[in-house]
Amino acid sequence: MTAHSARAAHTGPLPRILDVLIVLVTALPIIALAALAISGFTGPASAGILGRLLPLAVGETFVLLAIVGTSTAVLGLGSAWLVTHRRFPGHRLLSWALVLPLAVPTYLSAYAWVELLEFTGPVQTLLRGLLGVESAREYWFFTIRSPGGAAFVMSVVLYPYVYLTCRAFFALRSGAVEAAARALGAGPVRTFFTIVLPLSRPALVVGVSLVLLEVLNDFGAVSFFGVNTMTAAIYATWINLGNLAGAAQIAIVLLFVVGLVIYAEVAARKKHTYLMPRDSRTPHAPTALSGIWGGVASAGLFGVVLAGFGLPVAQLGFSAIRHSAVAGIDPGVWRALGQTVLIAGIASAACLVLGYVIARRMRRPGTPTRFSLLRLGVLGYAIPGTVLAVGLAVSLGTIDAWINTGARALTGAGVGLILSGSMFALVYAYVVRFLMISHGAIDAGLTQRGDGLLDAARVLGAGRWERLFRVELPTLWPTLAGAAALVFIECVKELPATLLLRPLGLDTLATFVYASASAELFSAAALPALMIVAVGALPVFAASRLKILAR
Amino acid sequence: MINPVLPALLGLSLSLFSAAAAFSQTRTVNIYSYREPALLAPLLARFEELSGIRPVVLFAKNGLVERAAAEGENTPADVILTVDIGNLAAAKSLKIGQPIDADILAPVPAIYRDPDRMWTALTLRARVFYVSRKRVDATTMSYEDIAGPEWAGRVCTRSGQHPYNIGFIASRIAHLGSEGAREWLENVRDNLTGRPTGNDRAQVQAIFSGVCDLAIGYTYYMGLMLTNTAEPEQKQWAAAARIIYPTNANGKGTHVNVSGVVLGAYAPNRPEALELIRFLVSDEAQAIYAQTNFEFPVVPGVPPSDLVASWGEFTPDDTPLIEIAALRAEASRLVDEVLFDDGPQR
Repeated sequence: MTAHSARAAHTGPLPRILDVLIVLVTALPIIALAALAISGFTGPASAGILGRLLPLAVGETFVLLAIVGTSTAVLGLGSAWLVTHRRFPGHRLLSWALVLPLAVPTYLSAYAWVELLEFTGPVQTLLRGLLGVESAREYWFFTIRSPGGAAFVMSVVLYPYVYLTCRAFFALRSGAVEAAARALGAGPVRTFFTIVLPLSRPALVVGVSLVLLEVLNDFGAVSFFGVNTMTAAIYATWINLGNLAGAAQIAIVLLFVVGLVIYAEVAARKKHTYLMPRDSRTPHAPTALSGIWGGVASAGLFGVVLAGFGLPVAQLGFSAIRHSAVAGIDPGVWRALGQTVLIAGIASAACLVLGYVIARRMRRPGTPTRFSLLRLGVLGYAIPGTVLAVGLAVSLGTIDAWINTGARALTGAGVGLILSGSMFALVYAYVVRFLMISHGAIDAGLTQRGDGLLDAARVLGAGRWERLFRVELPTLWPTLAGAAALVFIECVKELPATLLLRPLGLDTLATFVYASASAELFSAAALPALMIVAVGALPVFAASRLKILAR
Repeated sequence: MINPVLPALLGLSLSLFSAAAAFSQTRTVNIYSYREPALLAPLLARFEELSGIRPVVLFAKNGLVERAAAEGENTPADVILTVDIGNLAAAKSLKIGQPIDADILAPVPAIYRDPDRMWTALTLRARVFYVSRKRVDATTMSYEDIAGPEWAGRVCTRSGQHPYNIGFIASRIAHLGSEGAREWLENVRDNLTGRPTGNDRAQVQAIFSGVCDLAIGYTYYMGLMLTNTAEPEQKQWAAAARIIYPTNANGKGTHVNVSGVVLGAYAPNRPEALELIRFLVSDEAQAIYAQTNFEFPVVPGVPPSDLVASWGEFTPDDTPLIEIAALRAEASRLVDEVLFDDGPQR
């Protein structure tokens, strides 16, 4: 603590300005959205909002959130517990394979599952052959284009958020409490529900909130399944009523509700104190699952990976091969691949640097209040992507106009668009959206490692740069690489902001897929879609080989 | 411990990168497009071949008009290519366009262009009925017919809030009045097989699968499905359905919507943009639209494709599109008030 205080005393004005800048920059989308919403009250008479379907949409949104939240909690926590506490066939492979569905965007998983399960798909075609019927009216089959279908598809690709946070928690946790419970005579079930579940609540909440925010801002998958969500109401208000301000108002209300829920959870958790002894002397010893139970665990978890990753990838692979055989490969796909990797790489690097800076700044005494504003930024995650993108386009356009006015006054000539419609706009949007992921991961990594080594280095006379390059970074690198991998995957998948903010003439894999899919040329979208998954799965695979995500 | 120089350098190099991309030797024209690049490719390839002007496209489904407005006088947008009369009306009300030279617009009939020359339509698509070849006998129908009890549990369409249906329902309001359109829409809602989902192609698939007997959709999707070599099974789905051009009971013809073009208010390459628009309303470009995308040419005298012609003749509704565009917000509210997207209520 004394070392911390000593460091705080050295804080000069420059870092403080940097703090304010970071907070402003990350809060800009929310500020822009609020400005849009307010313009609806001050501007010309409003076209109103669509009120009748909204209550229904709110209801359906919350049902979807409840189902996906619960099922990802069960899948994520359950699988994390199994791979860390039990030994069964394939547990080593599963421990990283369970992360793979993260590489599949919900819109692709939705498309693949509909292709598989709808009337003309292989499953129903086979079924009709077996039953000897022709029309959909002659037999019953689960309708994949339904709220239930949407919940299923989202659950099997989003659970890895919960899996990752819970597994990291289990891997760290001492087995002492659990061992004590067992020694006192509690059975495995009672131990799980009275010890493991309550203790893992913080990790569970972090993972599930990420899942819920993803569900809220999703439009692609949800509209495909014919679910009436608030997002659909927001779009109709904007596009059909021409009332962008009204759309922003609904979005703000949505954000407010999300904020309340998150706040309520944090407040409720404050009543408890979580002691997490990093006591490696009592590691939890995984026990082997015997015979049939080992088989059940193994089959169940492989089934989950198959549903979230294997089947969608197989479906896309099949379409891609068939399409390429007939139509060849569009050279634009390769360009899009290069640009995707480049932009996602730059954005990941930026997220890493900023995430580290923020995590470090927040650890100093005296800064938390300022940075608690940053937590507001995470809510931006829940805004429907295109509305957020329009908000950003408007604010960046305004700043560009100021720059040009200034440049004209100084030099007599404008400088054109610098921030909007450039790579900057795109990287900026990614950083704002995904900074919380890198920051969260790095913060957790710093907590886990502790500052003992740094303090030792200081005592031994190491300077600031020597401490950074010889102690801090080498000991933190698995965390940094893991965070970079997660952000990179998110950037590669991101669609709505990319679509609207990208520079003229630039395509990423995601926009390429979207362009083909909206021309209803799904098979042309398959190859770039497969590349999205491959580019996203690569870091997962690499990280697993390096035992990074396994920590 | 923290070096503030690094993020600053990163930002600087990024903006330099984007600025460098703006320089170019050849003549170019910048297109903000709501139309999918795949549909534009044959047209733009021919334009480049003829003019030597390189088209640069930015495609998005929503928000391009808003982006151009936000970029203001610095926008790179020379032309905005849109689908749906709603986008053309929005472009005009957000003042992102400028008048197109009258002589360029001359080939286009007056009802398909803006009186202030702020936009012109390039192609037409008709909102028609796809009906099952097996289960429907009728060969002529009116839009009013599908509100009748004999269609209960037999009708499909995509979301009522989709712009394709909003334009269509706005035209119903234009012909039936607010109350008449509401009653019609409620009856159609109750005749649906379930909740509206999917796109226009999915409706054809639903007819093929036997889920519904009649669907509301645009003509050109049938053409695209019937000629789909990459996914040949779509030919089979489409073969299960045929097209009826519905009329209005008041004698007006089939509802048509448009794709169109706007000349950017601050077009940095105005001469090139005008050359592109001149090309797009030429007989050659109109024929490419007709042959590759199965839309109806907006310029009289250019024939539709043979496939489209084989579906028979029809009379388009001649109500000016700006009158229909003005009713879009009301249509959207109507769809909301009758809970159309919630499916049948009885």
